[in-house]
Parts: sequence; C-alpha cells; structure tokens
Amino acid sequence: MLTSFDALLFAVAVVILGAGLAQWSSRWLLGQEEVRKGSLTTLLRYFLGSRKILKRPLQGSAHVLVFWGVLLPALVALVSQFRPRLPGTLSNLVSLFLDLLGAATLCALAFILVRRCTKRQEAGPKRTVVPVLVLLGIVVTGFLAQGARLSIVGAGFSRQSPVGALFSYVLPASPLLMQWMIRLHFFAVLFLLASLPFTFLRHLVAGSLNVYYKTRNLPGQLRNLSLRGDVPGAKRVSDFSWKQLLDAEACVSCGRCEENCPAAIAEKPLSPRKVIQSLQEQMQVSSSLLEQSVSNDEIWSCTTCMACVEHCPVFAEPLDKIMEMRRYRVMGQGALPSEAKAAIRNLLLYKDVYGKGIARRTDWALNRGVPSRSEQTEVLLWVGCSGAFHPRYQETARAMVKILKAGGIRFAILGKEELCCGDPARRLGEESIFAEIAEENIRRIKSHGFEKIVALCPHCFNTLKNEYPSLGGNFTVVHASEYLADMIRLNRIALKYSLPARVALHDPCYLGRGNGIYQPLREIGKAIPGATLLELPRNKEKGFCCGGGGGRMWLHEKPGKRMNLLRAEEVVQSGAEVLGTACPYCLTMLEDGLKNLETGKAPKVMDLVEIVASSIR
Amino acid sequence: MKIIVCIKQLYHVYARTGMYPSEQFLEPEDKIPMVNPFDEVALEMGLRVKESLGQGEVTILTLGPIIAEPEVRRCLGMGANRLVQIEADQGMDPWRKAFFLARAIKEMGADLILCGKESLDRQSGQVGAYMAHRLGLPFVSAVVSLMTNPGTGTVEAERRAGRGVREIIKCSLPAVLSVDMGLEVRLPRFEDKQRAISVPLEKRVYSEKEAPARTLVRTIFSPRPRPKKVFTPDSRLEAFERIQQLLMGSRVEKRGSMLTGTVETQVDGILSFLKEHGFAGGVKE
Repeated sequence: MLTSFDALLFAVAVVILGAGLAQWSSRWLLGQEEVRKGSLTTLLRYFLGSRKILKRPLQGSAHVLVFWGVLLPALVALVSQFRPRLPGTLSNLVSLFLDLLGAATLCALAFILVRRCTKRQEAGPKRTVVPVLVLLGIVVTGFLAQGARLSIVGAGFSRQSPVGALFSYVLPASPLLMQWMIRLHFFAVLFLLASLPFTFLRHLVAGSLNVYYKTRNLPGQLRNLSLRGDVPGAKRVSDFSWKQLLDAEACVSCGRCEENCPAAIAEKPLSPRKVIQSLQEQMQVSSSLLEQSVSNDEIWSCTTCMACVEHCPVFAEPLDKIMEMRRYRVMGQGALPSEAKAAIRNLLLYKDVYGKGIARRTDWALNRGVPSRSEQTEVLLWVGCSGAFHPRYQETARAMVKILKAGGIRFAILGKEELCCGDPARRLGEESIFAEIAEENIRRIKSHGFEKIVALCPHCFNTLKNEYPSLGGNFTVVHASEYLADMIRLNRIALKYSLPARVALHDPCYLGRGNGIYQPLREIGKAIPGATLLELPRNKEKGFCCGGGGGRMWLHEKPGKRMNLLRAEEVVQSGAEVLGTACPYCLTMLEDGLKNLETGKAPKVMDLVEIVASSIR
Repeated sequence: MKIIVCIKQLYHVYARTGMYPSEQFLEPEDKIPMVNPFDEVALEMGLRVKESLGQGEVTILTLGPIIAEPEVRRCLGMGANRLVQIEADQGMDPWRKAFFLARAIKEMGADLILCGKESLDRQSGQVGAYMAHRLGLPFVSAVVSLMTNPGTGTVEAERRAGRGVREIIKCSLPAVLSVDMGLEVRLPRFEDKQRAISVPLEKRVYSEKEAPARTLVRTIFSPRPRPKKVFTPDSRLEAFERIQQLLMGSRVEKRGSMLTGTVETQVDGILSFLKEHGFAGGVKE
C-alpha cells in the first residue's frame, strides 16, 4: 500500500517530529536536577481510566473520544501495513468498531470545534483551532475515502462499516475521488505528526511524560529545599526543577484549576492557570526574572488549598511553583508582607505563631488532669499552637482530652516541649525557620520515644505526617478525626446524647485534598445520634477553602472578596444549623464569616471533636 | 560612611516578677533572650542610611556577654558588616555603659552613632545622651526618620517631641542619635543569614576603673496616683446627685487657667494672680 515515496514522506514527518520534540525538551530540561522515577502502570491506568478528565463529563468524554478515535485507527493502520492475517469475523468486528468510533470522534470534534469558536475569550484561554480542523479533516477524508471505495464496490449497505456506507450513497463511484481522499488523509496525518511539537497538541507528549513522572506524594507536598544553594526558591525559570518545568509544559490552559481556585473565585488577582501560562512564556526567554511576570499579590493570594493540583487533568502542580516563588521572595529578597513579619518573629522568639511563649503552652490544660508522658503512654496528643493558645480552639483541645479519657486511651501531651510544627513558616516561604523548628521537634518526640501521634490540627497533621519524614522523623501520625472515627467504630466511646440538628460538613483542605481523609468526618457525623448530615454544594475534592491556609491566617485579605464570606453564604443557604469541621483555621475563619453575614440565626460552627464530646458528656 | 549601632541584649520583659524583675521570671521558659527592639529599629535606620548613600559600613557594637547569639546573628544578617563586643566588668549603670561604649567608638571612629531610644527592660534612656557627652558630639533623641545630605556633612533628623509633635533637626556629623520605634524592621535574606553565621566576633576587653557616676539611678518605679479619701455622700440627696458627688470627690482636680489677650493684660493677670495668692503681696508699686 505504501509506496517508497510515501515512506520517504513519512520518514521526513517523523524527523521533523523528533527534531521539534528535541528542541522543545531542551526548554524544560534546563531546570534543576531532580530524581524522579517513572511508572508505566500509572500512565496506563491514566489512559484507560481517564478519571481526571471525565470530571467534566461532557468536555471530558469528547476529549477521550478524540484521543482514542485518533490513536486506535492510527495503530490499526500501522499494523495493517504488515498485512497480518486475521479471521474474517475479527477483521469485520475491527472494521465495525473503527467505523463507529470514527463517527463518534467526528461528533466529538465537531462539538469541540463549536466550543472553541463560541467560547468567550475572557473565560477561556486563547487557543488555535488549526489542530482541531486538521483532525476533523483526517476523519472526514477517511470517511470520504471509505465511502468512495464502497461506492466503487457497489455493495450497498455494509455491516462492517455502516457510517462509511452512508457516505457511499451520496458519493460517485469515482476511483479518482477515492485516490484523492486517501492522499489528503495521508498528508493530513503527516502534517499533524510533523506539527505536533509546535502546536498545543504537544500536550500529548508533555502530558504523558508528566503523568509518567507523576508525583507519587500527596498533592501540596513541597520540594525540600537544599539550604546550601545560593538562591533559595525560584528567581528565574531555570531555578525550577525539570519536572516542575515539564509540569508547566503539560498545561493546555484548560482552566479547571481556575474554576476551583478559591482565590480566583473570590476575584483575587491569582489564577493558577495564568501563573503556569506565564511560566510557559518565560521558558522561551528563560533569562528574565519571574517577578516581572508573576506579581506579589498573585503569589500571596494563594491559600495552598491544593484545588488546582487536585483538578488538573495532567497532574500539573501550580501550587509548588507558587511556593517556590514565595520562597525566593521571602528568603531571597526578604519581601515578606509586613503583617506576617510578626508571626515569623513570634516563631523565632517564642516558637509559636501566637506569640504567647512556651511557658503558656499548657495553660489550656491547667487543672484538667491532662496526663504528661509516662511509661504506659501509647499515644501522643499533638495539640498545636491553635489548640494551646487560640481561646476558641482551646475548647476543642479540652474536648479532645475529655473524649480520650472517656475512651480510656493512655495518652499524653508533650506540654512545654512542644513547639510549633513549622507549617506557617514553611507556607509563608521561610524554609530555614521551618527546618530549624522541625528538627528540634523531631528530636524531642524521638527523645521521649513516642511512635503514634494524634494531631488535633490538619496542618500539624500534614506537616508531621508528610513533611517530617524527609527530615528524619518517621512517626505514625493520625488526625483526630480519623482517631475518633476509629474509636467510635470500635465502640470505645458511647455516643449517648443526641444533637438534633442539621449538620453540614466543611472539609479542611489539608485533611481532604491533602491527605484524602473525607470518610472519617462523615462517619463521625453519622454516628452522632439525632444529627442529620448535610453535604455542602462544594464538598470533598471540590471543597471550598476557608481562606486561612498557606499562611493566609497571618496576612491581610486586601484585594477581592473574602473567601470565608463566600463559604459562609453557602453554609447559610444549605440550611444547616451546625457546621462541623476539623481544623482550627476553618473554625476561626468560618465563625468569623458567619458572624459577618449577620443573618438571623447563624449556624453554629463546631469542631467535630466538640460535637463528639457534647455527645458523650 | 562609618555607622556604629549600639545593640543591647536583654531578656524579654513580658513575664517578669518579684522584687528583682530583671532576674526573676514567672517560669524558667520566660527568660527569652532577645535584642532590644529599639536597637533593632536603630540598626534598620543605619542600614537605610548606608543603602541611600550606596556605600558605608555598619558595625554592631554590643556590651557585655553575648546572651542572645541567634538574635544578634539575625541582626547581622539584616545587613550589618561587623560585630564588636565589649567585655567589661559587671555591675553596669548607664554612666559606665556610656563610658565603655564611647571608648570603643572613639577607638573605632565613626560618622554616625545610632542607638535605641531606651531599652525594653531598664527604660532609662540615658546611655545615648551620656555617650554623646563623652564623645563631645551632638545628640538628637527619639529620631523616627533620617535624611542624609551627602557632601554637606549634615543630616536632617525627624524626632518625636511628645504629644504628637514632630521636630526636624539639622545636625552636623558625626553625631549620636537615639532612635524611636517607627521604621519597619526588615527580614534578613537567606544568603545574608548564611553570611552572618561566619562573621567573626571582634572583642574589646576593657578593665579600667571609671570615675564614679555623676548621676545614678537609685530606683525605677512607676508612680501611682495618691489615693484620695472618698467621702460619704449626703443620704438625703437624690441618687443621681450622690453618684455625681462621689465621682467628683474621687477625681483628682488639677486645672490651671489660660491667660488670653494682649501682653499687657496677660502681665496684669499674672500680677493679680500672684497678689491673690500672697506671693507678691509685699511689693509696693
């Protein structure tokens, strides 16, 4: 079938493809060294499952159809060059399948084309329609060639290719037409192949590579900074690691991050999509400084809620780029927003973010019989700065103690030896202070030989569980909600008193998206007698951030709307009477937001720990 | 330009107690070593002067043992070039402190000497002034911002004169300025922090005896208003009036009257006041 001239053309297209890809890859390979292991199973599962992309069902399925509708026929065409001998029924089945797939692809492409042309520019990214037109051309010419062939054969309706047969009714039985269509089809394929590295279709390669080298850590995990280098964080594009740059290359600006980013929803200057896109632009002129394209306001609007990472269909992570830039602005330039300087100074002097001092750390537990470590201690209760110092969250800490005592758990607190876990410093970009505090904490926990830790705050939990291991602290860490759910399941506590109310749940980002803990919250909610569980419209993976994470607790909320008000409105509209959450920041922010709304009877915000405690009373 | 910033290390004062608050703390953990925040602002001012001129050297001068090493290193990381420690015998009063500091400054030589307006723990606010006296240099206190006039050998200092009043004072260099809170202290950059770790500590050891202080702070105390006897109000009066009487009775009345008008009428007013109160009764016109 292939003439030698065709083979030559094909070879030329492949050479252009290879050269284009080589040139393109040099762009992201200039990044810093980083050890990554690829995983083929991840890639295969990604392609076969298409779970991420189908989160938007309509556009997602169109995309999946086009992907398989181009790849499978191409594979069949490639294999058929070797004239394999197939039994008749099998080849008929393949032909039928390809025919139907082609028709579906045609519809999907038409849908995409219409969407491309009609979509408002400001809502979506600026995109070219040329690759779509070429794809459309390939499918249409394929069908026309098939139709012409069937028309020449004159078989009438064909079971193997019903759609092709439809085309054959309107086409003349002209061999010339068929030849032309086959030529056009072939050239369009070659054109597509050769142009792949130069159009946005290179996301085929970039996306696949990015999935292959996907971060196997949880989202929102930060790259450990080597504190030896000259420039901490990212000053230029080349300061990112190659994987981080590949990440940016894989982005096709689909806008799913933006749709879920709380900062973007609250009309703040940040859009994760724009950040990644400006990185892509910068990579072509790699010498310029990042601060020229990504402003301080953008960087400090991020709450590190991980929604962008969670919703990216190609596993790109705008979050860690933003964090690298924060690191440079704070550690490289000393440009921390002035309101957050107090928090950093407090961390340095008093080792807690509230600036109360180590001596006050156990005040919440005064005369409450909170055990300190002894021989029989099984579990360390990690109270955290909020539990120890924040007047509202101290109640939660006391409630937790009550529950643990009721369940007969042999627990202890570190008391005055506990320091801040370091999360605020790290999320504010002060990596060196984080490392200092974290190492001291690890040393102290180890010196007492604790192995199991129950953390009250999701931020502490995330730091202890996911970030301390790289500093040498390997502990079994569970969050209070997980622990309570276990206690309830094992009947270690009896929930006697009912809470007759509609309880809505707010998923803390660092628990949900950060560590995939959604179910324990719901289990606890269901176990409370009398309580009716409600889901807020944005829940689980789509959960809306309260606006307090990522160091935002210590920053002013200047531009845009306030995130906690947006969430509070949602809570009020859901008709909940109690809002259950599991994070001190969420608690503070949402309580604040609900009071600010000044509705008649604002829902009461409670930590799930408090809800359980009120039920065992 | 050579700038010397005097920095005091102290223990944080938020939980001091007892008869000797400088040594007694509520809890052992409350003994938090730190750098006097006023001095940090002074350092910030020195660094801004250096940056506005584009050249210069900022030296941190500290007296006594290094108790807050990480904090002093952090101050170095803010951008100071040298760290000098004076080792001298214990038992310091402002006069002796100023003596040692002035001696070190004289030996090192400086165009601008900055220090905090006062320290967080003693709050005497004397060292700067004594130092200026020792060095024979002009002194401006409670400076909140500083403008350099390169080439003229002068600076313009804006100082807080109390009750919301600001003064701008032109001052020739070299000079001693004591700095009040106001400037935002910077966060050290990472590379500067790394550099600060390796900055050597230059020691100067003085052991000579110093003439006894001409002024000595005997005690520091915060005065309380004198208690006033609360009289028993007349029980026959209305409640409102009784309460008003009580309120009037417990208030410390201290009111003067302002004289207005031309100079002549004001002089007349003073004279009549003096006569009325018997101060000038015996003088005949």
